[in-house]
Amino acid sequence: MIFTVFKKELRDTLRDRRTVMMMIVIPTLVFPLIMSVFMSVSESFQKEAAEKEVKIGLVSNQVGSLEADLLKVPESLGKRKFIPFTDTLSLIKAIRSDSVQVGIYVPNNAEQSKKAMQPISVTVFHDGTDLGMKERADAYLTYIQENWKKQRYAELKIDEAKVTPFILAYSNVASSKEMIGKLAGGFLPYLFIAFGFMGCMFPAIDLFTGEKERSTIETLLTTPVPRWKILFGKMGVVVLSGLLAATFNLVGIYLSIEVLNLVKDPVVLQAIKDILSPTFIIMLYALLCPLIIFFAGIMIPIAVRAKSFKEAQSIISPLNLLIILPAMVGFFPGVELNEVTALIPVVNIVLATKELIAGTLEFHLVAMAFGVMVLLAVIAIMLSYRKFENENNVIS
Amino acid sequence: MIQISHLSKSFTLNRQQKKELGTTQNSVLAVDDISFECLPGRVHALLGPNGAGKTTTLRMLSTIFKPTTGTILIDNIDAVKDPQEARKHIGFLTGSAGLYARLTPNELIAYFGELYGVSKNDIEMRKKKLYDLLDMHDFQNKRIGKLSTGMKQKVSICRTMIHDPQVVIFDEPTSGLDVITAENIIQLIRDCKNQGKTVIFSSHIMGEVDLLCDDITIIHKGKVLFNNTMEAFRAQQQAPNLTAEFIRIVNDQKTENA
Repeated sequence: MIFTVFKKELRDTLRDRRTVMMMIVIPTLVFPLIMSVFMSVSESFQKEAAEKEVKIGLVSNQVGSLEADLLKVPESLGKRKFIPFTDTLSLIKAIRSDSVQVGIYVPNNAEQSKKAMQPISVTVFHDGTDLGMKERADAYLTYIQENWKKQRYAELKIDEAKVTPFILAYSNVASSKEMIGKLAGGFLPYLFIAFGFMGCMFPAIDLFTGEKERSTIETLLTTPVPRWKILFGKMGVVVLSGLLAATFNLVGIYLSIEVLNLVKDPVVLQAIKDILSPTFIIMLYALLCPLIIFFAGIMIPIAVRAKSFKEAQSIISPLNLLIILPAMVGFFPGVELNEVTALIPVVNIVLATKELIAGTLEFHLVAMAFGVMVLLAVIAIMLSYRKFENENNVIS
Repeated sequence: MIQISHLSKSFTLNRQQKKELGTTQNSVLAVDDISFECLPGRVHALLGPNGAGKTTTLRMLSTIFKPTTGTILIDNIDAVKDPQEARKHIGFLTGSAGLYARLTPNELIAYFGELYGVSKNDIEMRKKKLYDLLDMHDFQNKRIGKLSTGMKQKVSICRTMIHDPQVVIFDEPTSGLDVITAENIIQLIRDCKNQGKTVIFSSHIMGEVDLLCDDITIIHKGKVLFNNTMEAFRAQQQAPNLTAEFIRIVNDQKTENA
């Protein structure tokens, strides 16, 4: 009988346009949309940054070697145009009004200092809110500094290697998969959890409060089916809707990668493909199942008690925030699954999924997180059962 | 057959309900020690003004509500102790009940047939018979949400009768229906009676009661004011017509209580 109720409720739910939007359409489209917006914005920023001609204000009372070399800096370091200024005050004013983006002050004694092989005190004026401009000036000056160093070594007949105590090389031992998992891995569980929750919301309200509001529950309760079986049949559809929303999220990721080719970087692409292995997907569902049952279990008592769709929605929607906020913990690099975080509902699943993506899973911690969520899911089911058994709640 | 003995139902009030009802009491007694019997092949009317306890009584008979005290026997099955078994014998139709708008009549009837444990063959057989009787073939595959009120009422009748119940409970089945649509219900009640089923129905319309009923129970504020056959009701009648007599009985009770 549970399956009979489940089948009917699923058919009914899949014919509800609002639920289909929340369960299939939006979860499928959200990742491709986010990715395409992100890619196009980042591409356009990069393109703009590369093509942008930076106006550099130059305060200098002479035409010395530094000024001459600044004018000769190769275009490969970015397009630029130097604008002369007589004093730093007018330069600062120009930076603030964005008529120039960055300013370089060269002192009057620059040429003497160069000849004496003394360092020149160059000041770079920049607006800290205009990102990348300081770095642009830095790149030009470093380029000149390196050239001058080489000239001086030659003049002083010094072997550059002898004044270079060590050469630094960095070797990243973390795999691309780990990097993505640890730094951006919080994003995926956040999406799964948010959509899992939203996927449950409309069916929960529709199948419980909706039945009450439409006065169909009365006839259902006069059938010789125990109430717990009706509850389980309905709950099955609520849970399936949440899981389907998460699944269509995965479908969206697959479409972004394989069909729409939104991920261009081959390293990132390979890392994402490595992450989305069958083992990952099985483990992900194992973690999501108790969480989604927990979601269904907390929504159903509210939906059973509410007198109208509006009332149920007004209570469940703010609950969304309570779920989404802990899910955001995954965004912070450094927050990891440990003996404490494994006990915090929602947070534990986010962090466990993050570790799963990075491939740095510790099984005893995952078992703890899973156990906590199973326990909470059981409590939530019991609560739903108690509310649904109460005739005062079911009949309006 | 339905046998009701010393049936009572009280509801616990929450803070909001107390406020709405303007009472400080923790519970309200909706049905107060009522007893009566409905016999097979007879139509029993349950009459009473709004808030008398008719719907609560019928909800207890259909096992939606559990009585606070008392017993209900449905075809000799204790409906309080074994509600699931009792439900197999009951068909329940209310005027206010909705239908699943996103399903078709075919899907809805099959669903309820399955819930009542009717075999697929029997569902098909009974469905055909009911569709012929109610002229439902043309709209059997249309979504219920797109059907007219009359068509929906026919679907409700079909849903109620798909498991061929021996006891049929009607809670104000014609409320809100036009005379032509209501006629389907009147005909159904007549058919049930002719088939030897036990029928109980609540109504405000004395014309319907006069037309259909063999026995009558009048309740007011949860108590039985009158319980006998229609012949006995007519014999003791003091007012010029049935509606006036019903009002007189209720008013007499109000005067006694005052």
